[in-house]
Amino acid sequence: MECWTNALFKPEKIALTDQGPVASQFAILPIPMLVAKKLLERHHYLHTLPGGTMLRFGVFVGPRLLGVLTFGAGPALAYSLVEGARLENCLTLTRLWLSDELPANSESRALGYAIRALRKHTCLKFLVAYSDPAAGHRGVIYQAANWLYTGLSAPTPLYDLGDNIARHSRSVAHAFGTHSLEYFSRQGMQVKLVSQLPKYRYLYFLDPRWRQRLKVPVLPYPKKGEPDENH
Amino acid sequence: MRIIDINLDQLFEAPWNPNQMQPDDLARLKKSLQTYGLVQNLVVRPLDTDRFEVLSGNHRLKVLQELKISPVSCVVVNIDDARSRILAQALNHIHGEDDLGLRAEVLRQALETISEEEIRSILPETKGSFEALVSLGQGNIAEYLQTWEKTQSARLKHFQFQLIPTQVAIVEEALAHILPQAYRLRRENPNIRGTALYLLCKFYLEKQKNE
Repeated sequence: MECWTNALFKPEKIALTDQGPVASQFAILPIPMLVAKKLLERHHYLHTLPGGTMLRFGVFVGPRLLGVLTFGAGPALAYSLVEGARLENCLTLTRLWLSDELPANSESRALGYAIRALRKHTCLKFLVAYSDPAAGHRGVIYQAANWLYTGLSAPTPLYDLGDNIARHSRSVAHAFGTHSLEYFSRQGMQVKLVSQLPKYRYLYFLDPRWRQRLKVPVLPYPKKGEPDENH
Repeated sequence: MRIIDINLDQLFEAPWNPNQMQPDDLARLKKSLQTYGLVQNLVVRPLDTDRFEVLSGNHRLKVLQELKISPVSCVVVNIDDARSRILAQALNHIHGEDDLGLRAEVLRQALETISEEEIRSILPETKGSFEALVSLGQGNIAEYLQTWEKTQSARLKHFQFQLIPTQVAIVEEALAHILPQAYRLRRENPNIRGTALYLLCKFYLEKQKNE
């Protein structure tokens, strides 16, 4: 049995950039955690599989595995952007990596396929995604896919516990049960905050009826070289 | 550069070789050599007229010594100390990277004629990593998401509390008192401590109402 025949979507033609046009099947399929971790650690610019990963998809072209998408819990309060939403109503697109061998529009295509599957097979109401300006990202793929831009996220600082390693507040809270600076100070710990740049935040409603519940305004997409008004 | 057969007792490990191999992988290498033989020449350089230093194949040399396989086919290069170290590094580190999708296909094809046990005795894969690879690209997205959706609704809500040691002692004492009652409700919620906490809260609220 060919490994990609279980894909939900119809085969289509796609060109691999260094091999010229080839008739292949582009598909999004679930992949094991171990495989997602290996690929992201090797290829994604952050080199990690984030904690709280719930769904993992591979981007296949024929038998080749040329990309990864992961969805997970994301920031704790992301769901509160939408009136009446609960934690289980949304997921955050936590990682998206595609090989440079794929044509430029492949990210939007892969994301589109994943969205269609999530809409069809889950009760999720909306998705959140962040683009990191520090890495030169503006969220062009989300713009191309008509996601809603809702401004810059409030940046959470990283924590340096005195060993020059900047840790995410969630990792600190996981290890110590809190990330309260006051508490650390009372315990005699020297903790420094390392500020981070805010990230562009995008939302996509899988259930369009939930669109009217959005509590934050929808803003024009950030453009290249254009300073954001919330900076 | 020439290719010659050299007796095992004339071959010496490079003491400066930084590449180390764990016993599990050495066992796999041994199994591979027993199954396929020495299919790749060792790369060596002469130390003097009848002694050679191994630049590439130090782990294979260990296994060949254990299996007492002699003579050994070697590529002999005449290079100085510095270049021999760089060549060894290049031979160890310049290689391609597997496309995991294609690798999964290769393993599935091999599984048609070779058992998983035999494959895993040669390849550096754990049972988990092997199974993950073999299953790659075989999943059905609809089933995957529908299963996930079901497990989400079955998930108990997770509460997390952080306490200082004196608070822990009080909470543990209170929970211990009510655990027998919580145990009786285990069909409703298999997490007994969670139920115990719920019963404590319920007891407190009812007490408040009655005051």
